[in-house]
Amino acid sequence: MHTEATPAQADVSELDLVKQCQAGDPEAFDQLVGRYRTRVFGMIYNMVHNEQDAWDLAQDSFLKAWKSIGRFRGQSSFYTWMYRIVTNVTIDWLRKKHVKGSGAEFDDAIQLTDIDPASRTVPKADALPHQRMEQREIRARIDEAIAQLSPEHRAVILMKETEDMQYHEIAEALGCSIGTVMSRLFYARKKLQNLLRDVYENV
Amino acid sequence: MKTFEEKWTAWLDGELRGDELAEFEASLPDKAAAEAEKRDAHKLGAFLKEQLQDRAMGNEDFFHHQLRGRIAADARAANAPSASDGAGAKPALWPLGRLVWVGATSLAIFLVCTFFVLREKSPTDQSQYLTHILNARVDPELGPNATISMFESKEDKVTVLWTEGLQSLPSEYATK
Repeated sequence: MHTEATPAQADVSELDLVKQCQAGDPEAFDQLVGRYRTRVFGMIYNMVHNEQDAWDLAQDSFLKAWKSIGRFRGQSSFYTWMYRIVTNVTIDWLRKKHVKGSGAEFDDAIQLTDIDPASRTVPKADALPHQRMEQREIRARIDEAIAQLSPEHRAVILMKETEDMQYHEIAEALGCSIGTVMSRLFYARKKLQNLLRDVYENV
Repeated sequence: MKTFEEKWTAWLDGELRGDELAEFEASLPDKAAAEAEKRDAHKLGAFLKEQLQDRAMGNEDFFHHQLRGRIAADARAANAPSASDGAGAKPALWPLGRLVWVGATSLAIFLVCTFFVLREKSPTDQSQYLTHILNARVDPELGPNATISMFESKEDKVTVLWTEGLQSLPSEYATK
């Protein structure tokens, strides 16, 4: 896993920062937020496919982490603990929106990409227009496919494939067994293979 | 005991080892097809990893600023009740003595009210006022064996007048 720590920040260990947070130091928490905000935001964005919602949910997740950091015992890494909060907040939100993998987000995803030509999903600033368009189409296909997964399956596949998390870390973050994680991965992969094969075979 | 799905996932991710790996691969009906499926799954993983890179967050400074503001607001909200405690605000719960006093007073009021209600509702066999009037109108010389009894049920709104030895009821009775 990568972090966003600057060299100066990296001098302070994560555990020290957590201890300072538990002593009520908001500056230390600010540093932790700086280390993980992009990954947290990216993870949430990949689940909800909306930048403003991802921003709000990232805020809620960090605020919840600050409130409950006194209960963090260091039995896992801070990030795994943080991920548990992030997935709980996001999955709860998705459930409240009644997004149950029925493709209900499809239209939203298409609209988002259509009205957001400066989207940062375009990886290179110097990409040609047709490349940018192609990239947006690919991203829309991925979002559409992921939207057809349940919130739990989304979380598992994203943690595994984009975050390189281990089974036990995912299980800890989601509060389920390793067997459940593996089973969800099986079905999520199968579904995405069926939905996206024509895309990744041709990229 | 792992299910097939769990073993398959572990096999794709290179997490099956030793006897478990050999046993699983031996159980595959078509090893070549399974290997192709494995390569396909790896392609999907690489594709997702490449396409779903960390999405950069715009206005990172504002994100921190907003979060700090929410944390500060939360801290203020958490401290607000303790500040009012210091100013001598009322305690959240009543002390035991007050609870006992209020309980005893409530019980006493309840008992007094119950007494009056039951007393009010106790059935009277006979209206003393009417009996007095009727007795006064029985002349022992004219009707030495005359008796008048009245039974009244207030709940049923029924009054039974039982007369013996009288030639007629006093005419004023009906107007009383």
